Amino acid sequence: MTDMTKGSTRYYMPRKKGFFARLASQWQLALMSVPILMYVFLFNYVPMWGWINAFRDYGNRKLVARGITPFNGLDNFKWLFSRPDFYQTIRNTLAMSLINLVLGTFSAILLAVLLNEVRQKTFKRTVQTVTYLPHFLSMVIVVAMAQNIFASTGPVNELLTKLGIMKNPIFWLGEGKYFWGLVGVINVWKEVGWGTIIYISAMTSIDPALYEAASIDGAGRFQKILHVTLPGIKSTFVILLIMNIGHLMEAGFEIQYLLGNGLTADFSRTIDIFVLEYGTSLMDFGVATAAGIFKSVVAIILLVGANFISKRLGEDTLV
Amino acid sequence: MRKLLSVLLTLCLLGSLLVPFAVAEAQEPITLTVFRGDPGDQPYEDNKIYKKIEEEFGIKFEFEFLAGDLNETLGLKLQDLEDLPDLFDGGNSAEMIIDGGALINLLDYINPEDTPNLWAHIEPQKNRVITKDEITGEDVMYIIPNYGLTDGPQIANSVGGPAFFIQKQVLAWGGYPEIHTLDEYFDLIERFLAENPTNADGTPYVGFDILTEDWRRFCMINPVQHLMGRPNDGEVLIDVNKEDFPTETFINQPYAKPYYKKLNEEFQKGIISPDTFVMSFDQYIAQLSSGIVLGMFDQAWDFGDATNALLTDGKFENTYVALGLIYDEDDVPAEDMPEGWKIEEHYLNGSLPNLDRGFGISVSCKCPERIIAMWERMLDDDWQLLFNWGVEGEDYSIENGRLTMTAEQYANTQDVEWQRHNKARAFFESSPKRQGWILDGDLKGNCWEPGNQDEIVFGLMNDYDKDFLGHYGYSKFADFVNPPIELAPYGEAWQIDKAPIDKDYQDFLNIQDTQLPAVIMASPEEFDAKWDAFVEAINPSCEVYSNFMHEEVLKLVAAYYGE
Repeated sequence: MTDMTKGSTRYYMPRKKGFFARLASQWQLALMSVPILMYVFLFNYVPMWGWINAFRDYGNRKLVARGITPFNGLDNFKWLFSRPDFYQTIRNTLAMSLINLVLGTFSAILLAVLLNEVRQKTFKRTVQTVTYLPHFLSMVIVVAMAQNIFASTGPVNELLTKLGIMKNPIFWLGEGKYFWGLVGVINVWKEVGWGTIIYISAMTSIDPALYEAASIDGAGRFQKILHVTLPGIKSTFVILLIMNIGHLMEAGFEIQYLLGNGLTADFSRTIDIFVLEYGTSLMDFGVATAAGIFKSVVAIILLVGANFISKRLGEDTLV
Repeated sequence: MRKLLSVLLTLCLLGSLLVPFAVAEAQEPITLTVFRGDPGDQPYEDNKIYKKIEEEFGIKFEFEFLAGDLNETLGLKLQDLEDLPDLFDGGNSAEMIIDGGALINLLDYINPEDTPNLWAHIEPQKNRVITKDEITGEDVMYIIPNYGLTDGPQIANSVGGPAFFIQKQVLAWGGYPEIHTLDEYFDLIERFLAENPTNADGTPYVGFDILTEDWRRFCMINPVQHLMGRPNDGEVLIDVNKEDFPTETFINQPYAKPYYKKLNEEFQKGIISPDTFVMSFDQYIAQLSSGIVLGMFDQAWDFGDATNALLTDGKFENTYVALGLIYDEDDVPAEDMPEGWKIEEHYLNGSLPNLDRGFGISVSCKCPERIIAMWERMLDDDWQLLFNWGVEGEDYSIENGRLTMTAEQYANTQDVEWQRHNKARAFFESSPKRQGWILDGDLKGNCWEPGNQDEIVFGLMNDYDKDFLGHYGYSKFADFVNPPIELAPYGEAWQIDKAPIDKDYQDFLNIQDTQLPAVIMASPEEFDAKWDAFVEAINPSCEVYSNFMHEEVLKLVAAYYGE
C-alpha cells in the first residue's frame, strides 16, 4: 500500500496488516498464551467481583446468615475513614514497609558486594547458604526466638547490662518505640541472604573486561566496586525498587501479629491487623473489602508514580 | 452342568456380598470431622474409649484442635458452610458460628418422645437452654451445654472458676494465715519473696502473673467484680438486689481504681514483672508448670494443665489454693461505691448451664440423626461411667455400691499421656454429659465425676494436701471461700452474646489491651493521669456496652420467669 500525499512514496512495513491477520499469522504463540490469560483472568480478575461486598452492610450477623446483605453505599468507607486508629495503622504499615524496604535493600546489596569480593569459593558458598537459610523458617518460629532473645532477662539484655552499656535491662518487647526497629532487624536477619541472590547473579553478568579495564586505569578495589559493580547492578536495583514500592501497603502481617501485644499495639497494628480485628473476625466483610480496595488503590498509585519518576530519570521501567 | 454350577457359584458370591449390607445397614462406618475451639492433644490410635465408640456406633473421629486465634479460625471456617467440621465446637466464640448459620437447630431432632434421655437432660434448665430466634421467633437450641446441667444438689469441693490463686507453700511458709483482702495477699507474697528470692534450683520466683493474651485478658480485667463481692458476670457489675438489675461495666468506675493502684504498687516493688504483659498463654502455662509463680488471678480450669503437670512432678507445694479476696472496707472510699452496695464475698454461685458452649452439629454434617442417637445412648449410665470413670476393673472398681479408684488409678487420670491412650477427652469434654450425683440405680449416691467422689476427694488426697487442710481445720479446698449463693435469674452475664455491638465491644477490648498494662506499669506520679486518660478513652464504648448488657439482662430475667 502506498501513500501518495505530498508527492512522495512511502512504503509501509508489512505489519500494517490488520490485527486479526497478524494474530492468525502468529496463532501458535497466541495459543500458548491462552492458559496464562485464563489464569490471570480466573485468579486476578474474577475475584474482583468480590469488591461489590465493600458496598454492602454485614453489620447484623443474623441477617447475614440468611443471605441478607443490603447495599449501603459508601458507609463502610466512611466508617473506616472516621476512625483515628485507621490512620494510625496506615502510618504503621507505611513506616514498617519503608524500614523493611530500605534496610532490606541496602543490607542485601552490601552483603552481595562483600560476597562478590570474596575469592575463597567455599567460604563464599557457606556464608551464602547460612544467610539465606532463615528465609525458610516460619515466622512463628522466628518470632518465638526473638521473644526469647529480646526478653527482659534474655541474652541481649544480659549482654548490655554485663558490658555496662545499660544499667537496667531494656523492655524491648513492651515499648512501642522499639517495635519498628525490632521488626526491621528481624526481617533483615531472616531475608538478607535471600535478597542477595538476585544481586549476586546480576554481578556475575557484569563483563569481566570492565574490571580489567578499570585495573589498567589504576582503579583499586573500592573504586572498582564504586564504578563497575554498583553501576552494573543499577538496573536490577531500580526494577526491584519499583516492584517493591508497589508492595508498600503490605508491611507483612505475621510478624506484627505475633510480636505485637497490647503495650506495643499503637505501633504494631497494621492495616491487615485492623481489618482482621474489625472486619474478618467480626465477620464484617464489607469493612474488610473496603480496606482491601483502599490498599489496592494506594498500591496502584505508588507503583505508577514510581514508574513515572523512573522513566523521567531515564532509568528502566516496568511498563 | 458346568454352566449351572458357575451360575450357582456366582449367585452364592453375590449373596455373600449382600450379607454385610443387610446386617450393618444402620451402622455403616463413618468418620466425623471434629473441631475443638481450644488447643488439645490428639488421642492415640489405640485409645480404648474411641475403640468402643467405633464398635458400638461405627463412628470414628478426626480431631482438629485450635491453633492460633479463635475468632480468625472460626471466621475462616465460616467462609465455606458446605465444608464445616461435622461436630463443631466454637469454644469461647460459639456465638459466631451460631450467628453465622453454621449449626443446625437441635430441637428438630430432640424431643420428649424420640430422645427421652437428652430431653430429660435439658428439661430442668430449658428456659435458659432453649431460646427464641429473634427473626423467625421459633424455639432454637444449637448447642447442648457441655457443662453445668447437673443432677442433684450442688457439689462444691473445690473452686473450679475464678479466684485469686496462691501457691500452697506460700501459705504454709506464712504459718497458714487466713487471707481475705488484697493487702494481706500481696503482703504475704512480698514477705515470702524477700526471704525466698529463688526456688531450690536457683530459678527466681515470680510474685504475681497477669495473663493478657487475647481473650484471656479476663485475668487482668475481671478481678474487680469479685473484689466487689460478686460471682463471675464477665465485664459488668450487676446489682441483683435491686429490682431493675442495674448493670454497668466496672473497669471505668472509681471502685476499679484501687485494684489497679495496688497492682501499680506491686509492679514498682518488682512483684509483677513487665514480661507478664508480653507473655503468651503457652509461656504462662510453662511458667506455672515450673512452679515459680507464687500467685495470679485466673480461673482454675484455665491453668488445669499446669496443675496436672505439677501433680505429675510431685510438686504438691507448688499447686494452688483459690482465695476469695474482697476489697477491705477502707480500700474504696464510700463515695466511690455504687449506691447501697455492700461487699460480701461470693466467688461461687449455683451451677450454671454452660450456655452455647460445647459441640453443635454443623449444617454440612451428613448424618445429624446418628450423632443425636449416639448422644442419646451415651447419656445412659454405662457410657457415662465409661467416659468419667473408665473401664470397670481396669480403671476403677465398685465396692459395696461405691465407685472407687486406687491411688495409682486416680493418678493415671491426671496424666496427660495416659489420657491420650485411655480417655476420650477431646470428644467427651464438648459433648452433653451428666454431672453431679447419680440419682438412680445400684450406684445411687455416687458422683458422676471421680473428682467429686468423697472417696477420691478425701481418700486419695495426697498427704501434703491432707496436712495442709489440717492446719486450717478444713475438709476441702472450697472451704477457703464462702459456700455458693443462688444463681442470678439471668445466669451469668458473661454468657451474653455481644455481636450486636461488636465494633464497640472490640474498641472496649482494644483500649484495655493497649492502655491498662501501661497504667499498671506507670510510675507512681503518672498513675493518676494515666488512669484518668484510660477511663476517658474507654468511657464511650463502656456506655454502649453497659446499656446493651442491661437490656439483655432484663430480657433474660423475663425469659427465666417465663414472661
